[in-house]
Amino acid sequence: MGWTGKLLHVDLTRGTCERREIPTEILHAYLGGRGLGVRLMRDFFRLDPFDPDMPIIFAVGPLCGTNSPTAARLACVSRSPLTGTIYDCSAGGRFAWRLKAAGLDAIFITGQSAQPAVLAIDGARAELLPAGSLWGKGVKETVASLKERGSVTAIGPAGENGVLYANIMMGEGNSIGRGGLGAVMGGKRLKAITVQGEGTTPVADRERFDAARADVMRLFRASPVIFGELGISEYGTPALVDLMAQRRMAPTENFRATFFADSGNYSGPAIKRECGAKKEGCYGCPIQCKKASAQGEALPEYETVNHFGALNGISDLHAIVRANSLCNELGMDTISAAATLSAFGEARGRFPDASEVASLLADIAHRSGDGELLSLGSRRLAEHLGHSEVSMSVKSLELPAYDPRGAYGMALAYVTSNRGGCHLRAYPISHEILRKPVPTDRFSFSGKARIIKIAEDVNAAVDSLVACKFAFFGATLEEYGELLTAVTGVEYGPEALKAIGERIYLTERFYNCENGFSRKDDTLPERFFTEPGSGGEGIDVPPVDRERFSEELQKYYRIRGLDENGGFGGRNILEELP
Amino acid sequence: MRDQIDKYTEKLLADRSACPDGIAFAAQDDVLITAGAQGLAELAGNTLSRLNSLALVAARPSLPFADFLIARADEQEECIVPQDTETRTFLHDIPFLRQKDLSGDPSPVLAKLLGNRKGVIVEGVGIVAVGAITVEQAFINYSSVFHSTFVKYLQDVLADGFKLPGEREAFEEFRSHWLRPLSATGLDFVPSLPGDKEAILAEIERVGRYTVERGLVDSFFGNISAVAGELIYISQTAASLDELKGCIDPVPADNSSTTGITASSELLAHRKIYEQTGSRVILHGHPKFAVVMSMLCDRKKECSIKDCWKDCPHVRDLGGTPVVAGEIGAGGLAKRVPPVIGASGSAIVYGHGVFTLGREGFGEAFASMVDVENFCREEYFRRVEEEML
Repeated sequence: MGWTGKLLHVDLTRGTCERREIPTEILHAYLGGRGLGVRLMRDFFRLDPFDPDMPIIFAVGPLCGTNSPTAARLACVSRSPLTGTIYDCSAGGRFAWRLKAAGLDAIFITGQSAQPAVLAIDGARAELLPAGSLWGKGVKETVASLKERGSVTAIGPAGENGVLYANIMMGEGNSIGRGGLGAVMGGKRLKAITVQGEGTTPVADRERFDAARADVMRLFRASPVIFGELGISEYGTPALVDLMAQRRMAPTENFRATFFADSGNYSGPAIKRECGAKKEGCYGCPIQCKKASAQGEALPEYETVNHFGALNGISDLHAIVRANSLCNELGMDTISAAATLSAFGEARGRFPDASEVASLLADIAHRSGDGELLSLGSRRLAEHLGHSEVSMSVKSLELPAYDPRGAYGMALAYVTSNRGGCHLRAYPISHEILRKPVPTDRFSFSGKARIIKIAEDVNAAVDSLVACKFAFFGATLEEYGELLTAVTGVEYGPEALKAIGERIYLTERFYNCENGFSRKDDTLPERFFTEPGSGGEGIDVPPVDRERFSEELQKYYRIRGLDENGGFGGRNILEELP
Repeated sequence: MRDQIDKYTEKLLADRSACPDGIAFAAQDDVLITAGAQGLAELAGNTLSRLNSLALVAARPSLPFADFLIARADEQEECIVPQDTETRTFLHDIPFLRQKDLSGDPSPVLAKLLGNRKGVIVEGVGIVAVGAITVEQAFINYSSVFHSTFVKYLQDVLADGFKLPGEREAFEEFRSHWLRPLSATGLDFVPSLPGDKEAILAEIERVGRYTVERGLVDSFFGNISAVAGELIYISQTAASLDELKGCIDPVPADNSSTTGITASSELLAHRKIYEQTGSRVILHGHPKFAVVMSMLCDRKKECSIKDCWKDCPHVRDLGGTPVVAGEIGAGGLAKRVPPVIGASGSAIVYGHGVFTLGREGFGEAFASMVDVENFCREEYFRRVEEEML
């Protein structure tokens, strides 16, 4: 119950599609989504991201297909061409739900097609179709031309052309973003995947499930961040714009400052007023945090408005919305695109103005003009320009819109994240800023090593269920463990789920260490240790104390059971894991 | 972390929820530390070391209610299920271990139970509660369990009387010695709230402290606000009312800014109350007798509504204070309280707590909450005596 026990193995080189069994003990030990994908990478993690044999894996979770809140999601897993790390990204939309309805827990794709191809799944059938006519097309046109085949996930020109932060776009507008898995898919000449399915996911204990679901919904209603009148259900994640400005931690002008006086132009209320924002969201999600304009255009998230806004010194909301739409159409990550433009701006002494952004984005996707260099991401660009200090990234992944000088847990979480500078692994913004489940002191490292470790384990489990992290601004693993138990008939409590999360986290870390990552990669850009942020209104934003940072990182290694170089000391943990 | 342990040990002593010689904490950063009463500290450390969490408190409650609930439970029961909002929303149920089932080191089985729930009762030992990421969280969970068992025991006594040897005596001891007269005397309030921001914040901080010191709020629940011009100043979500410095959000009445996303989940209720009553301040606490009495209903036997706490459309009355149903946050309380609170200046929410108003300042709101709780306390004991006769 909960799982189908099947994956679709696709070999693009040979043109074959076949259903294979997934051992039950693997599903029980890794759940699905991120965990299952990471486990399935075990024999492949050393391959180059563009090696044809490198798999790209789409995996749903055991809750998908039920009406568990926020769980119609999947994870996409491979190795990132941008960071070189193991990489996963969670995305919502009907695709995940339909994949499960086609009787699959995962799609495992290897090889490289001789010609552009589309993988079409319809119930028990799966076939590879020629896609030459779609190659070069934008995401909208691609999705529209395939919609008769069910849900679509596709790449745009950025993925085809190997932009290192190319996305895979879900047909409903969600994205598999950040680490460039769109380029991995493009390298395989796989333009899109379509899926149609009619199956249902049975629930082992309906009464227990209904009670757990009611508990989750009650906690959603009790959470000001979720259903509060100023929360993300009402304003989307741009609800954070005003808060980050007030907390003096909005990355501005390539992180040279942490306050942007014009951020009110793209705040949640401003977007609602100016764009007629209406509620949209992932399939079956009660929160509906995505927002669309009155014309149905997807509106940008918090990280996107900040990075096309403050980070580049742009205050024109409509230019920001256009940049977001263009990235979606071209299939490109908004955070890395905007941050790379910002690094470029600092290096050349002039940030791009609002009118320049669209053409630069098009150049990136097509790797023409300056776009050739910009398509490599900020770290490679900065090194090429002889200004490595302007890349605001960790492990080559551009930092999102939470300045680490304003939240020390975030500073630590950026460097311990297995996929590089990402806010969504330990997600300490939850307690350092949003006060959930309880507040912690954002200007203190005290206890943060342990807190970050626990949160990484929790979120690895959440990404494997696969549920949305926003759900955990209200609910906890207590309630989601109940949902999982009710669906599968296998008892899972919070501690059991955290143990699974720890297993997943350590597996990822092991893969990375085997590929050469170590303590030297677990650090922030120098700027954060030497330059203050923009204080004001009684808030002082000093540089991060390097000594305390290092001390806490060493504590973190000890808590994780790692050596002082952040490694495994010769131990092969894979031999110890299921 | 030792300073945190000291701080929350002091809080447990100040709110008199734990016995002074029966408090222990454990916390783990890169090493495990324990502090407090020796046996309990050992139990706390052994248990926490088996959990992927940061802190744990093991303390002997100052009242025997939790143990009585276990002793009164049927043999096959393994948890108690209080019906108050706090338990329903955050704890769900409270597992327990019976003394007779304890042998040797109880920490493995305790860790297993705490692997699923925030707090556990160990008969004859105390309440053990875990904090996933902070010491404060362990304290909050202990307080929540203490509050829930307090409320449930009083409810059960009223419904079923005393069942165990020594129960009546303990109850009398609680009534005559543990409980203290509740009043607002000796407290200073600004008679009319000024418009100045700093003065408003100072008054809110002070009144917040009063609500905790006088026992009108348990753990970190409850909230407090004042309106001035176009701003509502409201305590933040998950803020302890006795530590509000820096934890009060000014929220524009027209929603032109979202900085108030960190405000209390009851922001909407406060906003609507201000719109409908023209009051200047609102106080919301969880005094225990009001919570107990709000769940009593004469019509339960003939009523078809099952989920009274959220679905009951009726407005009941407790000494002139209206009682309504409604879940917290966006769950219905914000619709049901504003229409009824204006006339009396106070309202009780089923299983949850009390809202009171001040037309000019907090003096009126505080006195009103004290009056509501005193009425409920007296009414509770009157009914207990009536049932016992």
